[in-house]
Amino acid sequence: MIAKRLTCLLLFSLSACSTTEEQVVDLLEQIAAHPIDSPGWQQAVDNLATIGRPAARQLIARLNPGLYVGEDYREFRDEQEQLRTGCAQALGRIKPRGATAALKDRITAAYTENERTACLWAIGQIGYSQVGIDALKVQLKDSNPVIRIHAAIAIVKMDDNVGDDEIEAAFTDARLAPIALQGLEESSYFGVPLLMRLSTDGGPQQQALRQIIDKVKDQLVTQLTAEEPVHRLRAANALGQIGDPGPTQALANLLTDPSNQVRFSAAAALATLDQAQGIDFLFQALRNTDSILRANAVKFLAEVQSQSGSVESQLISALSAEAPLARAGAAQVLGQARVQTAIASLIEATTDKTAEVRVNAIIALGQIGTGQSRARLESLRTDDDATVAYYAEWALGQLGPS
Amino acid sequence: MAAMKKTICLSLFCLLVSPPVGQQAHAGETPETILIRQALSNDVSGYRRGDSELTLKTYDERFVAYQGHANGDPRAWTILHENRDALAKQINADLETHRYEITRTIPIISVRTTHAFATTIDSGQVIDRASGATTPVQIQRLWTFLKIEDQWLATAMVSDLGDSLLPAADSGTHDGISDLLQRESQAWEGGNASDILGLFDEHFTGYNGGMTFKPGTWTIAFSGIEEMGKWLDKRLPYTQYDLDRKILHSAVGPSGNEGLAVTHETVAIQHTAGPAKHQKERYVLWTMSRRSGSWKITNMLYDIGLID
Repeated sequence: MIAKRLTCLLLFSLSACSTTEEQVVDLLEQIAAHPIDSPGWQQAVDNLATIGRPAARQLIARLNPGLYVGEDYREFRDEQEQLRTGCAQALGRIKPRGATAALKDRITAAYTENERTACLWAIGQIGYSQVGIDALKVQLKDSNPVIRIHAAIAIVKMDDNVGDDEIEAAFTDARLAPIALQGLEESSYFGVPLLMRLSTDGGPQQQALRQIIDKVKDQLVTQLTAEEPVHRLRAANALGQIGDPGPTQALANLLTDPSNQVRFSAAAALATLDQAQGIDFLFQALRNTDSILRANAVKFLAEVQSQSGSVESQLISALSAEAPLARAGAAQVLGQARVQTAIASLIEATTDKTAEVRVNAIIALGQIGTGQSRARLESLRTDDDATVAYYAEWALGQLGPS
Repeated sequence: MAAMKKTICLSLFCLLVSPPVGQQAHAGETPETILIRQALSNDVSGYRRGDSELTLKTYDERFVAYQGHANGDPRAWTILHENRDALAKQINADLETHRYEITRTIPIISVRTTHAFATTIDSGQVIDRASGATTPVQIQRLWTFLKIEDQWLATAMVSDLGDSLLPAADSGTHDGISDLLQRESQAWEGGNASDILGLFDEHFTGYNGGMTFKPGTWTIAFSGIEEMGKWLDKRLPYTQYDLDRKILHSAVGPSGNEGLAVTHETVAIQHTAGPAKHQKERYVLWTMSRRSGSWKITNMLYDIGLID
């Protein structure tokens, strides 16, 4: 036994000059040699995650029960459980997209709770795939509530809200609530809409939810400087939803980001926080001759207005702006956000000398759908501009019969 | 080029032996299962036609037949024929005195590289050529196969395999078998791969029973000594085995060259890379042969479930 331990020690000490495959084999033996969640087991999982993608193929293979025959035979089921659980956790940190297919086959009732929860977690960490989300939705019907909550959290991480009720229900259960809280914390920007709803609904765990929101906010600020533009823009959006003015400067820094979508997302977040830098950015874009920038401005201003109402007065004022593009864009936003208080100004805008402004004001009145504009819209049916007359007819159709 | 020709020939053969339209198609069929199915069909066709040569084509020289006594529990099994010649004598005698009107279904074929097992159910009637008396037949068999030069040959068969666990008579202990299994147990504790492998036949098959006695859930874990050797090279540097083995049943054939045994044992491992210990109790079915001089293990079925 002592000789074996010395041999093993020698093997580990030589691992520095061994191949990656040999390192992975040694770490897998370390996982097999330590109980799940023990320090030795966790250290091996950490080291496998550090090796990263070069280890992924061997880790995926260990998920498959068919592997444990021949030269990879393991006769003890609990040893297989240690390996499968550890490999799933490492894969969840390495995030190879190809692992989802193997992981989703191990979340069924044929496997232990440790294996299932580790695989569910890993699928969520790897992120959206149709095959993954389809498998997760099936687990929402599992008889074990622990499996259901892990499945629901993984679904949130795929930007889908079909499991939100399961998560909300978990907050009334002392065993499940910590899992839900940790899951939402790990869900980063995808968990923010649910976190904000739960934190304002007055349900249980309010203090814990606020703490999680603070932690997520810190993560999101870090993600504002992420390499991938998609992380930066999603982090900016989520910070706007959280509504805390703390990260204003970090968001303002993104107004010069190389990515168009990131700049607009940051501006929208700032505008939601009622910060002039963001509002000015969006209104400037509304006047821009580049139609893509204008379309983005309309889209983001409509979102800001719907979410916070913080740009309402500026939008109404913009209907009288000097630039026709600004007047037309403001009318578009007011219509999409269905701003009732803008009806009078929009009716006034239907007299604008620029047909494009008149068209957008008419469409906005149709979208808002108030009878107050009916008489004016009736008169516009005979407008000299055919497009104005066409949309007046359309808007009247939106209002319904008088 | 030679390999390509071989593949083409094998594919053509599979095409020729595959069932014609209208006959039963088998899910998950592979070229290997088609060949095994063909070997089992030859056996039964030989019986139907009274053609012992055709029947014997299915069997390897090393073939051993066991009698299952309608019991799923191998503690009731005994040895029927110790080699192909003994089987041939029995077949010739049977065909001389009886006609066989039987059909065969093959519920299970499981293949791993060069080793396979299958179950068959023969049904119909056997007719006494002299008296014309008929005896209905319904018999389940378990077969093991080895692939030798692209041909699958039966290496063992358990006749009259039972669907349930019935009582088993007490059996004596055979010194040779007892000695072999105790040495095997000690070899594990010694941790030397060559000591372990030296007790196994080159072409032995290792199975995992999945805690049931029904072959439908069994899998082949080792196809021969070479594969087991690779496993031991990986396994033994990281583990220390501890085995407590008790022999529950053993039987040897009429010539004393073939044997079988059932053991109950506690197997435990201590990992060298950490504190985890794994332990379990298991039943193991063994078959062994001393055709090469000393006893060697020919089949080993871990985790056979012997409790209803």
